[in-house]
Amino acid sequence: MSSAAGSTLTEEGTDLDLQGRVLNSRPYKVVVWNDPVNLMSYVAWVFRSYFGHSREKAHQLMLQVHHEGRSVVASGPREKAERDVTALHGYGLQATLEESE
Amino acid sequence: MARAFRATTRGYRADMESHERRLLSHLCADVITMLEARGEALNDDAASPEDSFAHFRRELAGLGADLDTSDEVPGVEPPEDAALARLLPDASKDPEEAAQFRRLSEASLRESKIADLRAARMALESEPVTLTEEQAPVFGRALNDVRLTLAARLSIDDETDAERVHNMAGRGKAATTDEFMAELYAFTTWLQETLFSAMLDVMPEDE
Repeated sequence: MSSAAGSTLTEEGTDLDLQGRVLNSRPYKVVVWNDPVNLMSYVAWVFRSYFGHSREKAHQLMLQVHHEGRSVVASGPREKAERDVTALHGYGLQATLEESE
Repeated sequence: MARAFRATTRGYRADMESHERRLLSHLCADVITMLEARGEALNDDAASPEDSFAHFRRELAGLGADLDTSDEVPGVEPPEDAALARLLPDASKDPEEAAQFRRLSEASLRESKIADLRAARMALESEPVTLTEEQAPVFGRALNDVRLTLAARLSIDDETDAERVHNMAGRGKAATTDEFMAELYAFTTWLQETLFSAMLDVMPEDE
């Protein structure tokens, strides 16, 4: 995408909040919230294409979002969880970061 | 009247009337304008990377003696406009954390959305509208941003609201702005649904 033009330095190299990151190595959860606009087929497609989930797993997560209002769709180190949340926002999904208990 | 998106040997194709393509292109342009205005309001084109460097230089000069300087950098507040707030949502339920996340990531999110919407406008220049496997998700994201914007303007906050808007559309001639927006919402929803159904159909089965 065109935003890659700014080189990796401006993207991450200047994020000097390393102290907090390293100390804070507990895994993070990526939560997707239900909303009345995003289509079920679209949400399932995003889960399949972005996370590489199987058809069944993607469908199951999508239904969980729809019926329970939210679903944890990924978890891992903070950096990765942040990337996932930003990517999901790019797709127009309501996603947040949560620290694991 | 348009014909739905369908998979062909050369990607996805939808036949649309020229006025439908023009209308959709205008909607994309409106969302671009909105996102650009947010960027100008925050003055981030110049400020965002510079701010990070200023922070870095302060550290380098030993001015950030206490290690917890990140607390001093103010976060960025969410947009007040409902549509912008929906396009650029908070990344955390904790407002302070969300503001810090926004400071680091909102500008690039806005840029990627603007790039998607521009690409969609390009695709809408030709008849029929034809999308390769690579272009289809980009077009789909742009279409979704248009839908999210219309939904915010129509105050769709829950399933009941969605039902209300659904019933408002399809009655023939739209007399009010809301009825016209409801028609557009129904049209873009239908396009989105047909595109992603076609995309899911050709997605390889699980191993």
